Amino acid sequence: MATTIVMNGAAVAADWPGRYHHVDQVLDRPGPRTDPSFQAGDEVKDFLRDKCKILVIGAGGLGCEILANLALSGFKDIHVIDMDTIDISNLNRQFLFRPKNVGKPKATVAAEFIMARVPGVKVTPYYGKIQDKDEDYYMQFKLVICGLDSVEARRWINATLVNMVDPENPESLKPLIDGGTEGFKGQARVILPTISSCYECSLDMLNKPTAFPICTIANTPRLPEHCIEWASVLEWPRVHGDKKMDTDDPEHIGWLYKTALARGKEFNIEGVTYSLTQGVVKNIIPAIASTNAIIAASCCNEAFKIATSSAAYLNNYFMLIGTDSVYSFTFEHEKRPECPVCGGEAVDITISKDLTVDKLIETLIERQDIQIKKPSLSSGPKHLYFQAPPQLEEATRPNLEKPVSELVADGGEITVTATTLPFSLSLRIHYS
Amino acid sequence: MLQNESQTLDEATMNIQPDNKTRRYDRQLRLWAASGQAALESSRILLTSGSATSTSILKNLVLPGIGHFTILDAARTTPADAGNNFFLNADASIGKFRAEEAVPLLRELNESVDGVADTRELEALLQTDEGRKYLASFTLVITHNLPAKTLDQLASLLWQDPTYPPLIVVRSAGFLADFYIQLHEHCVIESHSETAPSLRLTKPFPALQAWADTLDYDKLDPTEHAHVPFALVLIKEADKWRAEHGGALPRAYAEQKAFKAAVRARQRKLDEENYEEAEAQAVRMWSEKSISSDIQALLDLPPVDLRTSPNAAFHALLEALRLFVQDPAGPGSLPLTSTLPDMKTDTESYVKLQRMYKEQARVENALFKEILKKNFPDLRIEDAVVDAFVKNAHHIKLLRGRQSGGFDKDKDALASALQIFPKETVTHLALSALSELLARGAEPASITAEALTAEVHALVGQGVELPNDELEAAAGEVVRAPTADLPNTAAFLGGMVAQEAIKLLTKQYVPVNGYCVIDLVDSWTGIIGAP
Ligand SMILES: [Zn+2]
Repeated sequence: MATTIVMNGAAVAADWPGRYHHVDQVLDRPGPRTDPSFQAGDEVKDFLRDKCKILVIGAGGLGCEILANLALSGFKDIHVIDMDTIDISNLNRQFLFRPKNVGKPKATVAAEFIMARVPGVKVTPYYGKIQDKDEDYYMQFKLVICGLDSVEARRWINATLVNMVDPENPESLKPLIDGGTEGFKGQARVILPTISSCYECSLDMLNKPTAFPICTIANTPRLPEHCIEWASVLEWPRVHGDKKMDTDDPEHIGWLYKTALARGKEFNIEGVTYSLTQGVVKNIIPAIASTNAIIAASCCNEAFKIATSSAAYLNNYFMLIGTDSVYSFTFEHEKRPECPVCGGEAVDITISKDLTVDKLIETLIERQDIQIKKPSLSSGPKHLYFQAPPQLEEATRPNLEKPVSELVADGGEITVTATTLPFSLSLRIHYS
Repeated sequence: MLQNESQTLDEATMNIQPDNKTRRYDRQLRLWAASGQAALESSRILLTSGSATSTSILKNLVLPGIGHFTILDAARTTPADAGNNFFLNADASIGKFRAEEAVPLLRELNESVDGVADTRELEALLQTDEGRKYLASFTLVITHNLPAKTLDQLASLLWQDPTYPPLIVVRSAGFLADFYIQLHEHCVIESHSETAPSLRLTKPFPALQAWADTLDYDKLDPTEHAHVPFALVLIKEADKWRAEHGGALPRAYAEQKAFKAAVRARQRKLDEENYEEAEAQAVRMWSEKSISSDIQALLDLPPVDLRTSPNAAFHALLEALRLFVQDPAGPGSLPLTSTLPDMKTDTESYVKLQRMYKEQARVENALFKEILKKNFPDLRIEDAVVDAFVKNAHHIKLLRGRQSGGFDKDKDALASALQIFPKETVTHLALSALSELLARGAEPASITAEALTAEVHALVGQGVELPNDELEAAAGEVVRAPTADLPNTAAFLGGMVAQEAIKLLTKQYVPVNGYCVIDLVDSWTGIIGAP
């Protein structure tokens, strides 16, 4: 009881007169494009400042910016999840961290910084994975903002929020705002689970990750990248056996660099450097403060507009390219009827009668709109191939060599699942 | 023995590991390299206010490591500032100088950046020679919501002399904003364009042509046949095509299709991916110009007086390029690039091809330097700069601007912008109208949409039709929040303006030329008013 009073007292004291002079200008009156349902004045301010619990996923490049923007905008109950610790290479943009914080959890350090800088804002950190949390946890928020660099984590939270929607309960629909950057480019989008296009719907818009064929790496290297891949994919396991490669261990990177350099010399390939080695094996994406600031601001602006109705929110995709002048494109990304998360229709796929299960799996891994790393396949009650558990893998392994047509009838369906994804994908098979 | 060896290895590993600074800046060095970083580190930036937008801009410049910043701001922190500016100590800063409160909180973002607070009045500095000299001594000056009269004086001062710093003028009101870069001329060698430079396949240099000539498909074994680089496949096919078509290359669509089919017909087995690649790359044979229209336009510019130009080196290089293209000893085109894209071929062929390109690029680079030396014997340009220029000759850029406010006075330009970019132009005009009304002493909260709209009409002049819906949308938003420096708008501008500043300072990538207009109601940006 006493605690509550003190907390309320502190919260009130924190709101010095005039604190929200700037934000209140757009909360006290509507603009010409504001929806008529907007409740200008105290009602909207109370909701924003007292009732709108918001979740931020990621406390990195975008996350630091998002937390600061939300706190200044008037969100006072913010939760943040991040599984990473602070690295020295984060300090050129993740502005809530200092050299003394290197090695500490991002979520915790960021939360403490915001609370120290912006009085009356409560930031609750969780140092761990989004997958540790269940639907009850996600249900407590009004909004979710995602500033992640991992495609897999985004697919997971997207599918989780889509699955959570209960048509009987409007509260179960949690708007998801997603941001991403790469160098001078970035995008921000608003996803209304089940209503608008979801993250999975637009998977084919992602840049295809550069994958070098094994035969090039092994037999016909031409680029320094080929030498580096050879060192990490083929030489490391050959020389070190089961010892796992740690791309954060400078000694491991040093070994890869020297090995790749030697291979480059052997084949007269120039350009193997330490920096390139790191870039290739860690799949480093260039990142700067300014792009993160733009995209995080865009995400928070949409969150603010959704929370307050003070202006219409983004429908539904904002894309920015800043390399040559400033080019941006705002458009509505369409839902995909065969989206495995929000669409419900099976993906039609036409294959040769001779195509083996093995080759089908290869095709699925490569398809830009599917991107499943280790798919397990079944058709009705029949297991075609399962990656795990080991007994099932062993039992289904002989199927890999068989043509799909031997196991599935023309027009039949195959269900594809992967442990990393909280949904399954239906394929309708046709034979050419 | 073994121990010694491993010690040497450890030492070697120690030596190759990047230092702390390289590790800290790793993610940005991949964008602008050490040369861009050095340029940032030698820059001195002046912000003429400590508003939320200003400190957001600075944050994104301090983090990547500019050399120095000054916040020039005579204002004391208000309760409103304490509520919307992350780089103040909240209510504890109220009543203290805003600049003095913000500087330490910005400096702690990066120990290697120097920053000072200057609490003098900008208006007073503009009145004295010493003050004006001081303002012109920075590398770049940035203003946010500066009153119109002061802005005019500052912009005129910095426009006086082409060696004076560029000025970025930022304005915002609620969800709307725009910014303008005032610069005389900006030259970019490393634009980081993503369009691939010509491989000169339609006009191969002698060594490359000789290789293509000696290559006989019938004499290749199956492995060799599957590894002929696409460059050679295309050169050979073009020679054959020319022989059969009176010396011309495919032009009409049907011809292009036939050419592609001929390339693809070389494929003997389905796994010969090099011919598929050649087919996909065949477009190079009719779309590649020896000199693009952008570069031609630069070559056609009237010569510049090198004694007075702040970009003398660039203009000398440009003149040398013009002479290089015309030189009978040269290729008759831009210098060859030595960077080769990957091709589906074997190591030996690829390395051979790469060496050929490198050698030819070296020969042309030497010719270029000879021309440069002959024509500009007294000019000293670093070898690395010349090399970068030759290497990037396909993508060099030159921007020329005009004085801030010039667009608003150019009635023809305004009228045409209204036609092509109506919502961008009226948003810009609504912000201009707001500055005008405030300069005439209007009380911000009492400015009506009608008054603002009337001012916009006055700005464009008689007889110019304005798009009513767009104007209403923009004017209504401006009068709703005429003095609001919203945290998200400030952060958005902080990123955008810092990004442009980085492009200006590093002379890499291409900055905005004109006004960048931003509407965060409908979440769009647009560019208008390029000179
Ligand atoms: Zn979907």
